Amino acid sequence: MIGKDFCWGRRIVLGVLLLAGFTIVLGRLVHLQVLQAAELSVKADRQHQKSVAVEGGRGSIYDRRGKVLAMNMEVPSVFGVPASLDNPSGVARDLARVLRVRADEIEKKLRQERSFVWIARKVDPEQGRRLERLSLDGIGTVMEGRRYYPKGALLSHVLGFAGMDGQGLEGVERRYDPYLRGEKRQIVLQRDALGRTVFSKGLTEQGPAAGHSVTLTIDEVIQYIAEKELDDVVSATQAKSGVVIVMEPKTGAVLAMAMAPRFDPNSVRGLSADRWRNRVVTDAYEPGSTLKIFLAAAALEEHAMTPGSMINAENGRMTVAGTVIHDHEKAKWITFAQAIQRSSNIAAAKIAMALGEDRLFRYLKAFGFGERTEIDLPGESTGLIKEPHEWGRRTLASIAMGQEIGVTALQLASAVSAVANGGWLMRPYVVSEIRDARGQLVAQVTPQVRRRPITAETARKLRTILEGVITAGTGSKAAVAGYRVAGKTGTAQKIDPDTGAYSSSLFVASFAGYVPAEDPRLTIVAIIDEPQGETWGGTVAAPMFRRVAEQVLTYLGVSSQEPMKLAFAAHTGIEAGIGPGIGMVR
Amino acid sequence: MRLLAGLGIIGVLLLFVWERVDIVRVGYRIEQLKTKKIALQREQDELRVKASALTAPDRIARAASEKLGMIPPQPGQVVMVSAADPAPAAGAGSADVHVARNDRFWRNP
Repeated sequence: MIGKDFCWGRRIVLGVLLLAGFTIVLGRLVHLQVLQAAELSVKADRQHQKSVAVEGGRGSIYDRRGKVLAMNMEVPSVFGVPASLDNPSGVARDLARVLRVRADEIEKKLRQERSFVWIARKVDPEQGRRLERLSLDGIGTVMEGRRYYPKGALLSHVLGFAGMDGQGLEGVERRYDPYLRGEKRQIVLQRDALGRTVFSKGLTEQGPAAGHSVTLTIDEVIQYIAEKELDDVVSATQAKSGVVIVMEPKTGAVLAMAMAPRFDPNSVRGLSADRWRNRVVTDAYEPGSTLKIFLAAAALEEHAMTPGSMINAENGRMTVAGTVIHDHEKAKWITFAQAIQRSSNIAAAKIAMALGEDRLFRYLKAFGFGERTEIDLPGESTGLIKEPHEWGRRTLASIAMGQEIGVTALQLASAVSAVANGGWLMRPYVVSEIRDARGQLVAQVTPQVRRRPITAETARKLRTILEGVITAGTGSKAAVAGYRVAGKTGTAQKIDPDTGAYSSSLFVASFAGYVPAEDPRLTIVAIIDEPQGETWGGTVAAPMFRRVAEQVLTYLGVSSQEPMKLAFAAHTGIEAGIGPGIGMVR
Repeated sequence: MRLLAGLGIIGVLLLFVWERVDIVRVGYRIEQLKTKKIALQREQDELRVKASALTAPDRIARAASEKLGMIPPQPGQVVMVSAADPAPAAGAGSADVHVARNDRFWRNP
């Protein structure tokens, strides 16, 4: 009996103990899973999950034919953990060999009492691979986005550049930064006990989208042609700087915007802002005689003059408000057309007087001078044109010669395009379309008319006069074999910074024109600042216009409509086989 | 019957455990493939940058002139032919005019 009772007693004790155990476990479970559930699940998530801020890569920039001009690439950045290094000097020597940096500089960083130091940011991928092979203790790499400009200095002033953290700082990079920047997003990763990523929270979670890509109106080959010819002239004339713009007159699309000197946007460190300033849009200059195009346009449109109107050019010397105006070519009576073709300052002053201050001012404003062209590039200047009530006694005559007025090269190109296309002032632009990372069209730019300063009839009359500049005037060296060219030379005196008066040795030589004159495909403006030796627009800028036009017309496959001298017969002897006239068509 | 129910429950539990383990295994595999994809994308980007630099117009022009001895065509050596102009009648003695372009200005002597 005793044994049986003892057995039951043990069972009861065991049961109570088990019950108590279960009750404790259950209580603990309720405590953890119910009472502390919210707090603990936050704690667990903090340990299992890792939230990282990620940004999609910056979008690429392409030329009009899809050639890459700027793109992002993930490259390694090298860091060190000084505390875990036994032999900093040995490691510094190994790193110096790969990174091509002085070993003592690296060693100095590695001897700092810090837990993390950057050794080199955004190095070449090949250097990263060599470091990986070395497998140095205490040295690691992380990948960061780096902006590459594979064409080097080509188009540098238009492209601009992006900073170390991927923000656009100049040019298209700056203007279109909101589109080019990748999407910023927080991504939650699930980690295992070893800290390895198992998967993103939610398998469908996508990474942040890359930035949009931007396609320019600029053609890299035309840009190269413009830059090469500009470099040659700037170098030959030892000029301070130079500019060439090639534009489609009918649309306002910029095909090339060349400047000299240029810079390499891959390495802008240490360069002053002066080097990367886009002079085409930021700098205003006195245009000289190229402004006579718009003086003539105003006179024709207002019927103040006809191409045959006779003007007394005063034998090359006339006094206006106590100042003597000279012509480089003495003449007495010349027609209005000849006045423009020979670039007579005296005749220009008389044309301006016939027009009057208000009308001249109104037409210059209508052609876009004194206001921004609204091109999609940062830092554009308005130029400088005073209101008529601010004009002095000599201002009317000065403006007629392209003095006392500041214009940007882009304003000039835009206004010449208006004459070329029959009178429509177009908004110039450099970006034609924007696409998202999947290639879907986000925005497309279409040509935009700003206003119409002159009629088609005036533009046609002016074209005949401007063709005469090349065939019988100061711009003969701008002639392109096989094509009709219309344009105007300009040789503007610069203000001497020491005396504040017009210098007799500092000039800006320019040529602004379009080709083919009868159906313009290209407006080209060529400007050389302070050429040495030859300083005339007709001898410095006009030949550069011709060389750029010849190559670009051939590149674009524009058919010639004019007779031209063929060169191959003389070299190959084909002439005899085809007929006596082949050497000279017509 | 109880045995079958017990086996069923154990089976469901095993299936649940297998599913959880497999999700983790697939997660690792996905991460591996993502890493590989990123590496390949980086390689592709690197090659695009190299290709773009190698096709830069100034490099091509330099190679053409320095390595191949080429020179730009001289004025009159290139004449652009208009496809829009109507072809002259056969036998008109102006076959060379097709080549030389400027049809309307060409007259046989």
